[in-house]
Amino acid sequence: MKKIKKSGKLVVGMSADYPPLEFTKNVNGKNKYVGVDVELAKQIAKDLGVKLEIKNMDFDSLLVALETGKIDMIISGMTPTAERKKSIDFSKIYYAEKSDYFVISKTNKAKYTSTASFKGKTVGAQTGSLQYTSLKKNAAKSGIKVKGLAKISNLLMALKSGKVDAVLLGELNAKTYATNDTSLSLVKSSLSQAQMGNAVGVAKGQGDLVKAINKTINDCQKQDLFNKKYIPAAAKAMKQASSKTNNSMSKYASYFATGLGYTMIITICSITIGLALGVIFALMRLSKNKLLHAIAVCYIEFLRGTPQMVQIMFVYFGVGMLIKNMPALAAGIIAIGLNSGAYVAEDIRSGINSVAKGQTEAARSLGLSQAKTYRYVVFPQALKNIWPALGNEFITLTKDSSLVSVIGVGELMYETGLVQTATYRGVMPLFITMCIYFVVTFILTRLLNYFERRMNLTSSRA
Amino acid sequence: MNKIIEVKHLKKNYGDKEVLKDINAVIEKGKVITVIGPSGSGKSTFLRCLNLLEKPTSGQVTFEGTELTDLTEEELDQLRQKMGMVFQSFNLFPNMSVIENVKLVPMKVKGMSDQEAGDLAHELLAKVGLDDFADHSPASLSGGQQQRVAIARALAMQPDMMLFDEPTSALDPEMVGEVLKTMQDLAQTGMTMVVVTHEMGFARKVADEVWFMADGYLLEQGSPDQVFDHPQSDRAKDFLAKILEA
Ligand SMILES: Nc1ncnc2c1ncn2[C@@H]1O[C@H](COP(=O)(O)OP(=O)(O)O)[C@@H](O)[C@H]1O
Repeated sequence: MKKIKKSGKLVVGMSADYPPLEFTKNVNGKNKYVGVDVELAKQIAKDLGVKLEIKNMDFDSLLVALETGKIDMIISGMTPTAERKKSIDFSKIYYAEKSDYFVISKTNKAKYTSTASFKGKTVGAQTGSLQYTSLKKNAAKSGIKVKGLAKISNLLMALKSGKVDAVLLGELNAKTYATNDTSLSLVKSSLSQAQMGNAVGVAKGQGDLVKAINKTINDCQKQDLFNKKYIPAAAKAMKQASSKTNNSMSKYASYFATGLGYTMIITICSITIGLALGVIFALMRLSKNKLLHAIAVCYIEFLRGTPQMVQIMFVYFGVGMLIKNMPALAAGIIAIGLNSGAYVAEDIRSGINSVAKGQTEAARSLGLSQAKTYRYVVFPQALKNIWPALGNEFITLTKDSSLVSVIGVGELMYETGLVQTATYRGVMPLFITMCIYFVVTFILTRLLNYFERRMNLTSSRA
Repeated sequence: MNKIIEVKHLKKNYGDKEVLKDINAVIEKGKVITVIGPSGSGKSTFLRCLNLLEKPTSGQVTFEGTELTDLTEEELDQLRQKMGMVFQSFNLFPNMSVIENVKLVPMKVKGMSDQEAGDLAHELLAKVGLDDFADHSPASLSGGQQQRVAIARALAMQPDMMLFDEPTSALDPEMVGEVLKTMQDLAQTGMTMVVVTHEMGFARKVADEVWFMADGYLLEQGSPDQVFDHPQSDRAKDFLAKILEA
C-alpha cells in the first residue's frame, strides 16, 4: 500500500480478453481497456488517490506477476479458490455469477440439451479458469474431453472450426458472446458448484490494502454500481467494439504498425546482444583454458537444450525477482539475446573450424601470433561461412520474437491478439500478421543475399 | 663449425604412439640437408618440432643459441620469423591476392609500411619468377606457381633458415621441376635449408648432407654419396633399393 501511494500509481493486472469484465476497445486507433473490472479498478485507484495503470497478460501469468511484484493487484474475474488462496490474498467478493454455460453452435441445438449430452465430446475452456478446472475434475464422471486454450477468442474459433464441440464459459461471458454472435447457442451446465464469485487478488500480507479495496467494493455494492453503471457501460463498449464498422482491419492498422515497430526493436536489440555474446562464447569455447571452455559449453548446451518460451518467462519472472521493475520489453530482449548468443556462438565456432588447419600453421610458422592469426587469417575466411548462418539466425530471431508476447510485450503477435479480441475476428488478424512477418523476412533475406554476394565478389577477384 | 640448430634427445609421442625416439643432430649454417625415409617414419613431425609447431614430448632444440622448448608463445613467435616453412599443401591465404600473401606478415609483425612491404614483395616475387601474377588470386595459379609464392612469402620475413615439408609431393609431375629449380637457386644463395623430400635426384644433387629416417630414429647421416652409395643400415638399403628400382 505504501509503495502504491509512494509511486502514485496502481498497477492492476488483468487478462483483457474476458468481456464484459475486461476487454479492449479501439478508440481512434488507440487501444483502451474497458469492462466491469476496469470500472472497479478505476474506482479503487480513485479512492486510493493514485493513477491507474493496467497491465494486460495471459490469465495464467497473473499469479506469478503478482507474486513477483510486477503488478499490485489482480482484477480479472478471478475466483478466490482455496488453491489460489495459498499463494495470494483476496478481497471480498465483488460480483458472483450463478452458473456456467456450454456455448455451442446453433445448428447443434437439438443435439445438445443437457450436460449429459456432451459425453464423449470435446469441450474447450480457458486454461487456468474455473470452468477449465471444473471440467478437468469431472472429466471421469462426465466423460467429457477437455481442451484448454489461453484465449476465449481462440476457443470460439476452435468451436467454429469444429475442433471442439462446445466451450464452457461463465455466465457473464456466455451471455454476452451469445448476444453478440447469433450463430451461438447456450446450454446450462450442471457441472459446476455454486459460484464463489470474483474477488480482487493482492500479494500476501497486505491487510491495509485489502481493507481499502473492501471499502471501495462495499461502497459500490451499496450504490448497486455494478448493475446500474458498470455492466451497462461494458455492454455498450462491447457493442461498439463488435459493430461492423469497428471490425474492419484498416481501423486497426496502427495496432499492427505499433506491433511491427516493437518486433523490429526487439529483433535488432537482441541480435546485437546475440552477436556480442556469440563472439565471446565462441572464443571461450575454442579457448585452451579448460574453465572458460567448460563455461561456454554449459551455456551453449543449456540454452540450446531448453525451450525459448520457458527462457523468456524465466527471465521475466525469475530474474525479475532480483531486479525489480524490469520492464517486460527489456526482459524479452535480454531473453532472446541470451538465447541467440548460444546459436551465434555455434555458428561462429563451426565457421572458424571450417578454416583449414594448414592456414593457421602457415601463419604461425611465419611468426604471426595466435591473436593476429585469428584476426588476419582465420577470421576473414571464417566470416564467409559464418555470414549465411548468421543471416538465418537473424531471420529465425525475427520470427521467434513473437514468443515474447507471453509476457505481455506489445510486439506484433501481442497486438494481433488485441485486434482479435477487439474485433471478435480470429483468422483475419492472424493472416495479416503472417503476411507482415513474411514481408519482413523476405526483405531481410534479399538484403542478406545481396551482402553475401558482394562479399564473395570482393574475396574472389582474379 | 657454426651450428644454427642443435637437437638433443628429441622425443615426440602422440598419445601412446612414439613417433620420434631420441633424435640427436646438428645443422651447420649454410648447409642444405635433405631428409629421406619411408612415409610414416616421422620426417614431418621432426621438421615441425624444429620450429615448435609441434611441442616435443622431451629433449631440446637449440636455435642460434636459444633453447626453444621452454620459451613462451610470444618468444616463439619472434624466433619462428627466423625459420621460414613451406608446406606440402602450399597453404596460401585464399582470401588475399598473391602480393597480399607476401606482404601480410612483414606489415603486421615487422611493422613495415605498405610501400616497403610492397617493394620487398615485388622483389621476391620477381626472384621466383611470378611478379606478373602479383595481383592474381592464389586459386587462379597452378600448384607449382602457388608453391613458389609460398616460398616468396616465407622469404619475406628474411629468415636465417628454411624448412621444406615435402614441397613437391602435392604437385603434378610437370610442375615439380620449377619448384625444385627455385629451391636450388635459394640453396645457391647460401640459405640454410632442411628439406623433407621424396625427390631422390634433388636430394642427392643439392644436399650437403642426407639424413635417413626410419621408425622414429635418425639412422644415417652423411654426404649424399655416403648415404646413397654406401648405406650402413639394412633399413636404408631396403628403402633405397625399392626407391631406385621404381
Ligand atoms: N597430429 C598427430 N596425431 C597423431 N598421430 C600423428 C599426428 N601427426 C602424425 N602422426 C603419426 O606420426 C607418424 C609419423 O608421421 P609423419 O611425421 O607425418 O611421418 P612422415 O613425414 O615420415 O611420413 C605417423 O604414423 C602418423 O600417423
